[in-house]
Amino acid sequence: MKAVERIAQHYLLKQLPKATALVAMDGMVSDASDSWLNIFGIAPKDSIGVNIFALYGESDALREKLMESRTFSLRHCIGKEMDKRWLESTFAPWYDEKENIIGTIIQTDDISREVEKERELEKVNHILKTKSEVSQVGCWEYTIETEELFWCDETKKIHHVDPSYTPNVTDAIAFYKQGYSRNKIAMLVHSAINEGTPFNKKLTIVTQDGEEKWVSAAGKPVLENGKIVKLFGTIQDINVQVTTETRIKHHQQLLTALIDNLPLNVFVKDLDSRKILVNKAECQYLEKSAKDLIGKTDFDLYETEVAKISREEDLEVIRTLKPMLGKETISIKKNGKATNFLTSKIPLFDLEGKISGLIGIGMDITAMKKKEDQLRNLINITSVQNKKLINFAHIVSHNLRSHSANFSMLLKFLSEEENETEKAHIMEMLNQASDSLLETLENLNQVVDINTNVTLSKQPLNLNLSISKVRQNLSAFLEKNKVNIINNIPADMMVWSVPAYLDSIILNLVTNAVKYSSPDRNPIITMDAKKGEKTLIFSVSDNGMGIDLERYGDKIFGMYKTFHNRKDAKGIGLYIIKNQIEAMGGSITVNSEVDKGATFNVYFNEESK
Amino acid sequence: MYILMKKVSSIFIVDDDPITVFGIKKVLKPVAMCDDVQIFQNGKEAFDALKERTEKDQCIPEVIFLDINMPIMDGWDFLEELIRLDIKEHIIINMITSSIDPLDYQKWNEFKDKCPHTLNFKNKPIFKIETSDLDSINMAS
Repeated sequence: MKAVERIAQHYLLKQLPKATALVAMDGMVSDASDSWLNIFGIAPKDSIGVNIFALYGESDALREKLMESRTFSLRHCIGKEMDKRWLESTFAPWYDEKENIIGTIIQTDDISREVEKERELEKVNHILKTKSEVSQVGCWEYTIETEELFWCDETKKIHHVDPSYTPNVTDAIAFYKQGYSRNKIAMLVHSAINEGTPFNKKLTIVTQDGEEKWVSAAGKPVLENGKIVKLFGTIQDINVQVTTETRIKHHQQLLTALIDNLPLNVFVKDLDSRKILVNKAECQYLEKSAKDLIGKTDFDLYETEVAKISREEDLEVIRTLKPMLGKETISIKKNGKATNFLTSKIPLFDLEGKISGLIGIGMDITAMKKKEDQLRNLINITSVQNKKLINFAHIVSHNLRSHSANFSMLLKFLSEEENETEKAHIMEMLNQASDSLLETLENLNQVVDINTNVTLSKQPLNLNLSISKVRQNLSAFLEKNKVNIINNIPADMMVWSVPAYLDSIILNLVTNAVKYSSPDRNPIITMDAKKGEKTLIFSVSDNGMGIDLERYGDKIFGMYKTFHNRKDAKGIGLYIIKNQIEAMGGSITVNSEVDKGATFNVYFNEESK
Repeated sequence: MYILMKKVSSIFIVDDDPITVFGIKKVLKPVAMCDDVQIFQNGKEAFDALKERTEKDQCIPEVIFLDINMPIMDGWDFLEELIRLDIKEHIIINMITSSIDPLDYQKWNEFKDKCPHTLNFKNKPIFKIETSDLDSINMAS
């Protein structure tokens, strides 16, 4: 019976699926399941006499543990290298019926796969940790039911808290900066929990030690059976990026504001002279939006000639790398509108120092230019007037001086003269001197009148009507000299002039033509008139003696200049009409050939009324 | 009062103003003895006469009274032409003018240097004739 029992017991143990061994107090295996023996590579027939201290190695430590008579587990490995296997054995005291410890029951599991998995997990965790450290992305997890919040190390680092810190939701939200950031995160977390809305937002936190920083906070719900049970999220330190971005944006804004509000036209062109940036002033000037201007060249915007010049300037700057500064340029837009600019073109270099285009700056100086022209005009007028005045002063002083010299000379003679006949002769001379002084004064007065009489206004006059009037007044004179007048002027030709001046001009030119007619032929006077854009040219030609212009050209319109030996040549007529014409904003010229004739051209100014 | 009467072979007066001509003639009378006093209305007339005299080898004027402002040919143009004639005989030329224009004075200075003859500058009115107006003693000595 006992043997049967034993065999049955032995058999039972042998068949146990879990590797089990019974070991006596001395460590000798008294019985073991095949599976246990198999783990250690022991054949069932060799099972008797196997000592576990030989199998588990560390005999002293194990022996001590066993002495404590308590159940414990032990991880150990067997085999080497490739065949290495991890095992876990549980040692439990073996009692007999009388509760006396008679040995140890060992149960052993092959846990190689579990250990492998654990190691794999450890590796993955390590990678994750490294990754989050490198990318500065921390993660967190919030379990709704337990209200437990988990922060990874990186998350803690971002918040500047100790690795031992235990977070909770309230504190976590309090880390966000009061105001927008805190309100926003609270709202986002709330709606993620209640509505399952994921979020990703740039917000500001204040770290444990009071540093403000930008983070990118993201979160999404984790569902279990369609129910939100957790929130999982990340937090990334983006302070450097955001502050850099903000700084760049700030700079950009400053630059844009500066460029746009400069009262200058600013543009940037690439190497092909295409516009790649334009400011507000440039857009307004070209009457196009910035979008429409980008990519355009000057050929698209200006007259071809202007664009050509501009392109040449661009090429010069690009070639020489030297800026073109403050050059006066004229831009003519397609619609023909011209603008004067003070233009600068500055070479633009890329980050590697290579030329990449140019910066253009243009200042509209049209108004200034106009003012300058006006000023120059005024200076010209003033200097002409001044010259005239000096000239006139000389004439006056010369003429008056010559008369006064004569007077004083004659008076001295008279006072010393004793001969009565001679005295009478001197008196006669004095009378003559007095007459010619009066005449001179009258002539000078006439000139002064012309130059000071600003009240006389021009009016449209029929040129032929004025000519007829002069011819009528001169009829006896013309008849006596057998003058033939050829009038080619259209009947309705009108001219803007002061009436008295027009009469004086016609009278003087006609009488001059007759006075200086050739003794060899009857005088023929031809009159023409031609309307120009801003002037009317009135010409009087004769077939008279003509004037040696090379010799007298500069004196012909001077006062008291006569060139022909004629008793009635006084040298005042042309001087007076020149003054009259100039007072009306016109001019007079002469063409002549000696012994052929002369042509006087009067340019009436039809612009200034 | 001691008056020096100088014998002058020929005198030209070139002026378009009859009063000035009258005056010159009058002040000449007490100081110069001359049988050949010629009056010209302008430079051209005087020049033509002078040219004729050089061509015909006649008496060249010793003294010329020359106005500046004249029609046809003024005093300066006359001087220009006279210099070109290259006359061997020395002439005393008295420029008579009422002009106080500094430009005329400047022009006179320029002409003085390039003219081989004596060139005086006299402002009107003429009250009397200086000895230097008739004689180049000062220059010759």
